[in-house]
Amino acid sequence: MINIRRLVTPELQQRYNRQGRILGLVGGVLLIIAPFLPWAYSSDALDNMTVLGYPSPLQFFGLALGVIISAFLVLQQALTQRQKKRVRVGWVPGAKAAATGALIYIALILLSIAAELGGLVNIVYGGWIALVGALLAFIGTRLIPAGRTPTLAAATAPAPLEILAIAVMMAAALFAAAFALNHDDAGSFVTFIAFVGAVVAVMIRSGVMGWLSAVSQRYRKVLIFSAFVVAFMFPFTQGGSDANMSIATQVMIFAATAMGLNIVVGLAGLLDLGYIAFLGAGAFVAAILSRSAFSTVGFHPPFIVVVLISGTVAATLGLIIGSPTLRVSGDYLAIVTLAFGEIFRISMNNLDGTDGPLLTRGSNGIPAIPDLVLFGFNFAQRHELLGIPLGRFSNYYFLLLLVLGLIILVFTRLNNSRIGRGWVAIREDEKAAEAMGVNVFGLKLFAFAGGAFLAGVAGSVKAHQDISVTPDQYVFLESAFLLAAIVLGGMGTVLGVLVGATLLKLMPEKLRFVNEYRLLIFGLLLVLMMRFRPEGLIPNQRRQLEFHEEDEELAERISEEIAETGTVKGAT
Amino acid sequence: MEFLQQLVNGLSLGALYALIAVGYTVVYGIVQLINFAHGEIFMIGGFGALAVWLLVPGESLSIWMLPIMLIGGMLAAVGVALLTERVAYRPLRNAPRLAPLITAIGVSIFLQEFVRLFFGRIPGFPDSKRAIPFPQIEYVTGEAFNIGGVTIQRAALFTLVALAICAGFLYVFVNKTRLGRAMQATSQDPDTARLMGINVDKIIMVAFALGAALAAVAGLAHGLRYTNIDFKMGFLAGLKAFTAAVLGGIGNINGAVVGGLVLGVVESMATFIPGQFGGSAWKDVWAFVLLILVLVFRPQGLLGARVVDRA
Repeated sequence: MINIRRLVTPELQQRYNRQGRILGLVGGVLLIIAPFLPWAYSSDALDNMTVLGYPSPLQFFGLALGVIISAFLVLQQALTQRQKKRVRVGWVPGAKAAATGALIYIALILLSIAAELGGLVNIVYGGWIALVGALLAFIGTRLIPAGRTPTLAAATAPAPLEILAIAVMMAAALFAAAFALNHDDAGSFVTFIAFVGAVVAVMIRSGVMGWLSAVSQRYRKVLIFSAFVVAFMFPFTQGGSDANMSIATQVMIFAATAMGLNIVVGLAGLLDLGYIAFLGAGAFVAAILSRSAFSTVGFHPPFIVVVLISGTVAATLGLIIGSPTLRVSGDYLAIVTLAFGEIFRISMNNLDGTDGPLLTRGSNGIPAIPDLVLFGFNFAQRHELLGIPLGRFSNYYFLLLLVLGLIILVFTRLNNSRIGRGWVAIREDEKAAEAMGVNVFGLKLFAFAGGAFLAGVAGSVKAHQDISVTPDQYVFLESAFLLAAIVLGGMGTVLGVLVGATLLKLMPEKLRFVNEYRLLIFGLLLVLMMRFRPEGLIPNQRRQLEFHEEDEELAERISEEIAETGTVKGAT
Repeated sequence: MEFLQQLVNGLSLGALYALIAVGYTVVYGIVQLINFAHGEIFMIGGFGALAVWLLVPGESLSIWMLPIMLIGGMLAAVGVALLTERVAYRPLRNAPRLAPLITAIGVSIFLQEFVRLFFGRIPGFPDSKRAIPFPQIEYVTGEAFNIGGVTIQRAALFTLVALAICAGFLYVFVNKTRLGRAMQATSQDPDTARLMGINVDKIIMVAFALGAALAAVAGLAHGLRYTNIDFKMGFLAGLKAFTAAVLGGIGNINGAVVGGLVLGVVESMATFIPGQFGGSAWKDVWAFVLLILVLVFRPQGLLGARVVDRA
């Protein structure tokens, strides 16, 4: 990216502006035509791309990108004649993003065809036309000057329209999730993710995302309600199959835990590398107090009580670890929490009756944990709702949705409170915060123990959903994964962390072929993210500024945006 | 007698920790970075030594292989350490504190996986996904010495001697050479050091290289002592060594050596804890409990002049 920006100077853009437009338009039109042509010789690769005149879903997505490129370029010419100063749409940046996305998308499709059918010869002329189109669009749009930053976020529409926009966005998210999960081959999955990435990039660049987030600010309740409706609807798209629901519940637990860690790392800025131990503590407490035949104590309270005990035990552990270490610098906390994670793992392994008291049954853990029965609702049974059967995992999915909702609620309420502002102050400059009268130690301890409590709660559900609890599920790598989800998505944001957690948990499930290289890629990802985009995919703007202190341009852009729209994008 | 035996075991274990801990302390003293990947540098030192041994034909176990292996391990460790410094850490020098720490975790996982996946793919090299037997070089391994009922493994003695030599070298380097004094100056005040004409970037590289070279010695000693090496060995050893560095006072080179030895002895003495919580199953737990206790009661460490909060 940086090289391209250096290569294409503003002068060059001024001179070839017109040619760039034409090239871009030609590329866009080619991308629209190409999906109607066959791309591959055999229908074995991706979806069926051999038919003339009838685009397959994946080809159709290419067409959509072509439409975006052409439409944006035409609309920009047509609409900027009538200068409406107040609202600027980022047509050109949007088209640029779409063209870059299309290039990546088409290249990925052609590569998957070549990989799955054995060689580039299996690509038919339609595929090459699409590639040429994408290339032309890419080069063309690069030659057009970007213009000023979009201010679409300031626009307002009638209330029903804005609410409709939120609903459409949510429906699209549901469709994307269902589409991604129902495609089992890695090629389709990767290309689809690339398409989603391209669309999101277009939305961000053109300012639509800014508008949507401004609208979401105005209609918070509608947004939250519709998000939950969509998440609630997801099991109904699976037609009673538990295969994807099992993945979905794993994603939910991961997301809920990551959200808890997000309070500790994202808001308070405390790097906790042993967070998984708190999840494990909750899970072990729930397992030991459950009616499993392998439980080691004779006390079996109802689940509601177990949840509270799990959370309290985890929070107490948090207090024990936090109170000595939170007084010294943050680096020490990182290492001490890491050491605590090891202490937890070793202890759970040793409490097997020979090396220590009998509590956890050592490395075998506690199996055969019975399914939950809450208020007469048995989680083990299949239920039918509106004629759609819902299996065991769907039941847990709904419960986890509640837990995740609770954690998000805690997160947002704390973030917008005196406590949350205190955390931000501590994160940015501890000494200054202390001088301003912020109770630094108290707030840090509260974040640490509170985060532990939430992990304990999530762990108690996880124990029942997984049926068995063993120490090897709660190792350092899992903590690193949680941290990576937060870093990838964007520290301190709700949406970012949800996206990050979903991506990180879904990728290995769907990309079996990279399973061997999973951790290698993951380590590399952490390094590259910190190097090039430390604020995450969906950053909190204040956070973005923290990471790019010297970037005057960014600071100016954000302050300009705030002045024009009155909102801070992605503040929560 | 049992006490003396555990003391000897502890000292030789502690010598290993001390060699690794120096790397943490030197780097931390200069850039205030906890180089989380340093444990992996130690592991790579071991694998580098093994690789050189495998490359030399004849599978010789002669003592003359030892210096060759040591140089191989050092080259590998120093090379990787300098590469990570240049590629991963240097661009983040002015970033918020969280960023380099997360990068370090990424580097650590990457290096581990890299060795796991690719070391065994080199023709003639054993599969690196499980533990690899380490060549048992003559004289430094083999029948243990027995002095008045106390058994001393030869490899343990080798580790202690290696630590003694390295500590001597380190003392001379840090206090008597221009480079060592420049390093001290940079550690005290990087900005002023820069004004005095010290090339701070170069000093940081020297710090990484110095730590890596000592870690490679530890990697070789580890291989001789435990008779095999594996790609995971850096994680726990790194964590312990960091504990040792904190125990001695981070940033203080003498402290790292003392801290390592103390930690090793404490870990060995954990067997004397009565009841079920003694024994070797709990020794790691006691080592980490010690870390937490040090942070509560003496955060500057045993010899530390540096106040922890300054970090």
